[in-house]
Amino acid sequence: MIYDIRHVTSYAYESPVSFARCSLRLEPRSGDGQELVSHSVDIRPKPADRTVRRDFFGTHTESILIETAHRNLRIDSRSRVSVSRQAPGRAAPSPTWESVRDVAFEATSLGPESPIGYVFASPLVPVQRPVTAYAAASFAPGCGILAGAVELMHRIRTEFKYDPKATVISTPLKEVFEKRHGVCQDFAHVMIAGLRGLGLPAAYVSGYLRTIPPPGKPRLQGADATHAWVSLWCGEGLGWVGFDPTNDILVENDHIILAVGRDFSDVSPVDGIIVGSRKQKLAVAVDVLLVE
Amino acid sequence: MAGQDGQEGGRESSQGSRVRPANRRVAQWMRDYARLPGIPDEYIAQDGAPRAVWNRFFDAFAALSPGEIDRRFGSADRHLREAGVTYRAPGETSDRLWPLSHLPLLIDEADWQQLTAGIVQRAELLELVLSDLYGEGRLVAEGAIPAAAIAGSAEYLRAVCGVKPPGGRYLSLYAADVGRGPDGRWWVLGDRTQAPSGAGYALENRLVLSRAFTSLYKSMNVERVAPFFEAFRDSLRASADRDEPRIGLLTPGQFSETYFEHATLARYLGFLLVEGDDLAVSGDRIHIRTVAGLKRLDVLLRRVDSNFLDPLELDASSQLGVPGLIDVLRKNGVVVANMPGSGVMEARALLGFLPSLSRRLLGEDLKMPNIATWWCGQKAARDEVLSRLDEVAIEGAYGRGVPGFPGSGPVLAGELSAADRERLRGAINDRGIDYVGQELVRLSTVPVWDHGRIMPRPFVLRVFAAATPNGWTIMPGGFCRIAEQTDARAVSMGDGARAADVWVVSDKAVPASTLLPAVDTVRIRRIAGWVPSRAADNLFWLGRYLERAEATLRLVRALGTSQRDPGKGSSPVLHALERIQRLLVTWGATSQSSRTQPAKVAAEALQAEDKFGSALSLVRAAQRTATSLRERLSPDAWQVITEMVERLAQEVEDDDGVVSAAELTLQELASFAGLAQENMNRAAGWRFLEMGRRAERAINTVRFARQFAYDEAGGEDLDILLTLVDCQITYRSRYLVGPLLAPVRDLVVLDPYNPRSVAFQVAALNDHIASLPTLKEGGLIERPQRLAVALQAMLTTAEAASLDTKTLFSLEQDLLNLADAIGSHYFPHGPNASRPEKLTGLA
Repeated sequence: MIYDIRHVTSYAYESPVSFARCSLRLEPRSGDGQELVSHSVDIRPKPADRTVRRDFFGTHTESILIETAHRNLRIDSRSRVSVSRQAPGRAAPSPTWESVRDVAFEATSLGPESPIGYVFASPLVPVQRPVTAYAAASFAPGCGILAGAVELMHRIRTEFKYDPKATVISTPLKEVFEKRHGVCQDFAHVMIAGLRGLGLPAAYVSGYLRTIPPPGKPRLQGADATHAWVSLWCGEGLGWVGFDPTNDILVENDHIILAVGRDFSDVSPVDGIIVGSRKQKLAVAVDVLLVE
Repeated sequence: MAGQDGQEGGRESSQGSRVRPANRRVAQWMRDYARLPGIPDEYIAQDGAPRAVWNRFFDAFAALSPGEIDRRFGSADRHLREAGVTYRAPGETSDRLWPLSHLPLLIDEADWQQLTAGIVQRAELLELVLSDLYGEGRLVAEGAIPAAAIAGSAEYLRAVCGVKPPGGRYLSLYAADVGRGPDGRWWVLGDRTQAPSGAGYALENRLVLSRAFTSLYKSMNVERVAPFFEAFRDSLRASADRDEPRIGLLTPGQFSETYFEHATLARYLGFLLVEGDDLAVSGDRIHIRTVAGLKRLDVLLRRVDSNFLDPLELDASSQLGVPGLIDVLRKNGVVVANMPGSGVMEARALLGFLPSLSRRLLGEDLKMPNIATWWCGQKAARDEVLSRLDEVAIEGAYGRGVPGFPGSGPVLAGELSAADRERLRGAINDRGIDYVGQELVRLSTVPVWDHGRIMPRPFVLRVFAAATPNGWTIMPGGFCRIAEQTDARAVSMGDGARAADVWVVSDKAVPASTLLPAVDTVRIRRIAGWVPSRAADNLFWLGRYLERAEATLRLVRALGTSQRDPGKGSSPVLHALERIQRLLVTWGATSQSSRTQPAKVAAEALQAEDKFGSALSLVRAAQRTATSLRERLSPDAWQVITEMVERLAQEVEDDDGVVSAAELTLQELASFAGLAQENMNRAAGWRFLEMGRRAERAINTVRFARQFAYDEAGGEDLDILLTLVDCQITYRSRYLVGPLLAPVRDLVVLDPYNPRSVAFQVAALNDHIASLPTLKEGGLIERPQRLAVALQAMLTTAEAASLDTKTLFSLEQDLLNLADAIGSHYFPHGPNASRPEKLTGLA
């Protein structure tokens, strides 16, 4: 499948901003069952400097510097991505979770693909006993890792309430877990925390989801949003498998990967600092259009 | 010092006649010294005989009479208090005095050589491991270090993987915590590779003790620590890529628990003490914001942990760092010591792998052993720990605290409930990667002084090593922390431990050719270059607070002494007193004036805790401001401020007490001004202190003039004004009549030769502004200068006759504007300017 994605981020400031330094992670990656066909980012006002590098996780990262005073910052990113991946079946056979854990602990690489980077707490995902205990209920001794993770994902989907007004990005995981509500990145963080508590390697994925309008209704432009889910390492054979706890589905051809990291803080699409205005208003509009 | 020295020499030379009591005292101390069973002691060897160095020390020490010993210890404590050597324990909001154990830890030269060899080897090893971990990664790929033992550390900084450290090394300053184990050998208990603390305290400790016991110190042939700091400074200078590099010491600020040490080190090494806000990235370099604009910074010695260094790439919530710093490192634009990410070597998980890493990378065994440590991420080690769970201490493998258990120290399985024991066992089985088991070691003890006796207490010694172009050099001495309990294992300053100076003692006489100074004096170096804007801002306000305190004290004194005036009941006098009180109310020094009890008002204006304008509040504000300028103020200046605060905080007994407290404080203010005038380096921001003083004095003097030289002012009013501005004598020598309006106005406002007049202050401000750099190109006159020049022209040409109340009022407004203009021009990132803000929201 080929998608055209438009991702527009706009900031409006109450008073003029004289200086901005930002990191953009807006270019979808190639690999993991998808290919980047084309990509461009338009930034207004024009940056004084743009430099590009790959970060530790292999994500295309652009640093921009704006030195002209502005009240609005608009970052318009367009990508065309072709996706072709196959998820294992929900009931497919898999190694026991304990064996996956033990193999992960023995890793001999610190690289971004190595499972060992994803079994410890990370800046936004602490490993805490209550969350670990919650996840442990889905992983009986000797249980297959896939079956356990599918059940955990299902429980999060049914036991947590989707509520975009309940949380912000700084809401701590503990609160999300106790109140059982949040949005996609909260559910991903909860699932990751539970899996890591058990010693299982779980990564955070940011990206886009193709939304299918209700029958008979047209697709609304700009109604989509950035999305987040979980990638779990299921042993040498299966490798990394995507789980979307917000929708209780395994990741296949409706998901477009933007970046992978330990948690949101590693992949945040637009991040930065400004000098000049305390009051900011953010608007994000995403369109995911199926080309063919 | 000379007097004290002579005194001590006198006593020691009379040693012959006092041999017997001194010997008796040493024998008594030894008899009462109850060594702990089975634990080695520094003073007394296993066979019960005292060690040679300690014998020498106690023989000389006992020659001092008990009263003299107490006096010396008292003087050491007083010095620490007066110098403001403080330590803030984690979780506390105010500083407390730093407890000094009065006896030094003595280490003889042969013992020290062994320790040194072990530390040098270890520093070399850790540097090699770091450069592999962040570089090629062979150690992990080939299984010499398990990946998990690295990945678990929050100090493993993915952002700097593959970045070559500018300056060529990861570690510039390294410290090891060591203790003497039961076998009598030194053991390494832990490594400090992030930003080792304690070197500045060691320095201060040495200063205090060597001053209190000058002759004793000299007679012991103690190795000096100063050359170590010089080598360290020179090595940091050499790491920069230009000749006269600008070096900053990055501190989290005055709320950091070790802020005093940061200021001490910055002053001693001649580095600029900077906070994240003082720095900015521009181009591919780090710059410091100074009163002359952005200036390039070459080297940053950091006391901020890696993760807080760059909110853009690391912890996004950090306010302590510099946005873009990591990117500058990638571009080789600044040397950061130690290199961010170096802290990964502090993980206990790695301790057990160092012996084999030493053989692999250096081809030799570790010269000094680690404390035995088993990382539970590997099955054999895990099984070992689980089988001896009661005999080991369980620690977190990476940071402070044991995951899943409260507190920041180790967990001893033997002290847990049965349920918690099982939980610990389960946790180690499930996520062994998070835990280590460490052998329980009881460390050797050292004598501490306790009311005329000595007692054994366990200690940990922190040894410092600096990288130089010629290899590692070790500070002969260190930072010794002593536990209060006899059974302490982990020693932390916050747990009420004491610190001690460490003397490395040579048994050879010091070669005659060496000019060994009597004491390890702190050589204060000139702080080079322009003042950072924040420091200039603080100096400006320090000047203003002190000057405002002076004006308030003058009003208080005038009010207080008026009660002694024979004509005090007369209505013009009462009227003038009301005007004084009105000023004090306007300035927030007191809540309301009182016709009948002006003395009460004076007392409140002097020392009310809850009035922001009271003299006490103003000197406290000055003290707070001075705290963040510690590296720029001489110890004497700091001491004067402390004394003023202490004096004004003491309750006064009666009206006379108010007047005398005000008078004494005014004298101290004058002595501070004198110290600043005579002792303060002109390059180190003196101008800004002066400008603050001058601006404030000009404003206050106009306010006085407005109150007491108003258009209908009478003789009593003018008389008070002349007293307030200290011009009685000048006036009387110049005019043979009583105070008249026009002459008084001329003297107080316009006379350019009167150092208390408004015109004099404005002329001084003009001089200062003219000698500061201009920030903008284009040759246009800048705002502070424009205002100051205009004011001076006005004051030069004005005539006293035309100087009415209305003119005075507009003069006051102009002066306020000038003060604001100075602030916003030279300190653009002061409290009112914008700081960098995070972009908000989920984008």
